[in-house]
Amino acid sequence: MKYIVIGGSAAGLACAEQIRREDKTGEITVFTKESIMPYSRPSISYYLKGTVKESDMLLRRNSYYGAEDIKIITAAQVKAIDRKNKCVKAGRKSYPYDKLCICTGSKPFVPPVKNAAGKVNAFTFLDLENAKQIKAKAGKNTRAVVIGAGLIGMKAAEGLSKICKSVDVVELAPRVLPSILDEKSAKSVKKFLETEGHISFHLEQTVAEAKSKGDVITSVVLSSGKELPCDLLILAVGVRPESGLAEKAGLEVNRGIIIDPATMRTSDENIYAAGDCTVSVDMLDGSRKVIALWPNAVNQGIAAGSQMAGGGKTVAGSYSVNAIDFYGLRICTCGLINAKGSRYTDKIINSGGSYKRLIFEGNKLVGYVLINSSENAGIYTSLIETGADISALPGDIYGTPGPFVFAKAERDIRMKGALAL
Amino acid sequence: MKKVYAIEELCLNCRLCEVYCKTAHSRSKDVVKANKYEDPAPVSRVTVYGDNFLSAALNCRHCDDPRCVKACITGAMTKDKKTGIVYVNEDKCIGCMTCLAVCPYGCIKTGKTAVKCDLCRNEGEPACVKNCPNHALVYTDKGGESK
Repeated sequence: MKYIVIGGSAAGLACAEQIRREDKTGEITVFTKESIMPYSRPSISYYLKGTVKESDMLLRRNSYYGAEDIKIITAAQVKAIDRKNKCVKAGRKSYPYDKLCICTGSKPFVPPVKNAAGKVNAFTFLDLENAKQIKAKAGKNTRAVVIGAGLIGMKAAEGLSKICKSVDVVELAPRVLPSILDEKSAKSVKKFLETEGHISFHLEQTVAEAKSKGDVITSVVLSSGKELPCDLLILAVGVRPESGLAEKAGLEVNRGIIIDPATMRTSDENIYAAGDCTVSVDMLDGSRKVIALWPNAVNQGIAAGSQMAGGGKTVAGSYSVNAIDFYGLRICTCGLINAKGSRYTDKIINSGGSYKRLIFEGNKLVGYVLINSSENAGIYTSLIETGADISALPGDIYGTPGPFVFAKAERDIRMKGALAL
Repeated sequence: MKKVYAIEELCLNCRLCEVYCKTAHSRSKDVVKANKYEDPAPVSRVTVYGDNFLSAALNCRHCDDPRCVKACITGAMTKDKKTGIVYVNEDKCIGCMTCLAVCPYGCIKTGKTAVKCDLCRNEGEPACVKNCPNHALVYTDKGGESK
């Protein structure tokens, strides 16, 4: 069997590894357009601020791939998928496959900013190459402007705040981290970021125009008319699925690649897709959405790999779960954090510097936002994933959840694997 | 593999397991220094939950197919192929705590990086078990597997 995986991040690597677990002899080739071996893209902001070395960003040791007989081809941009002849084209060569998995991830969505395109000090922030270029331009006199106060923009801002003179963040929404925070929690997080990181926010604003000298941006003009000096511009308003290759090959695509939510199979029986480039079905509300988060990508990659190798693993259900930190402030979110409608209720526990919001649908927990209160968050995640009836639990779930949330029988399973000791 | 199991019927809520876990994972390895003076303070990998009527000491299940390993965004969390022990490589860990968000047992603690039970690096009986006066923690390969 010849397996090809396009993309060497979370989903691609998980897929290749799962194929090897189930097929000891098949030929596995992973193509990555990056020039280095698979590495942790989410670590780039830590690389930017200098707390992690490039060598520590590698997801596996280099010797691992030889031992597992997984061939990684770096700096290999796949140009086309030829479904008729079952091969992919990269560089000047064609590579035949029996089973193919597309794990091409996300691409940055670049907002249309007048006069910003092609300037030497404007960057997106998604891969190590971006981080290296930004780091080379950033210094103690640099005034940086970040467009976008989402997860990527704020991680960029945090990294830059450690190495630049000033960081201004411009966001269209009325709050910071709009995808994971509600009004109330966003207010306190914003205040923390202003004090701790000396970040200046410009909410409900866009950058209308960049002013430049030659091909260097010198300032940006906001929609309010305000002008901010700018030596470095980071465009981080969001990402889109990198589904172009699949679309060109005639696979079913609607923003992301359409897959069977259990097996990850696309509209071609020999082609699978996993991770940020796909459209997932959120098990919590049945909605179709792109869940561009690491754990979902890995779970999908494992299912795709298993199916490709003739195994039976599937994804039981997709949902969002994310953890992130800013200057030591820990934010953990899961499930339907923006759930609207009378079906949903929530409970907020606010104490001191911590905030906990649990979201319910009837007797089921369907989401949480935890700020500096993420102890044992995984217990909440498991309650969400299993759809447990909260009213049947004997213990308190509003404090730090622990084993005594559960009844004896469940505790025995959790603590002793259900065996008598 | 041999793992640590908690027996709630025998637990006294004395928390000596936590005291000795901290000591075993301290720089000084001295019970007083580790629990009173060392800075940064060592973090206990085992946590006693409950009260004086009912309690149990919970630590990592070293799962067969660990969610924390699958969710780790840096490759810092690994399950050792030979021993089955789930470790954090602290040089690679950036402390995002995604592992904590997916551990269904609540067995990952927050330090500068993610912190968790390493079964005292496979050097015989772990400190928590050795120092449990009530035999409420047992180190055995007879327990069931956790997924």
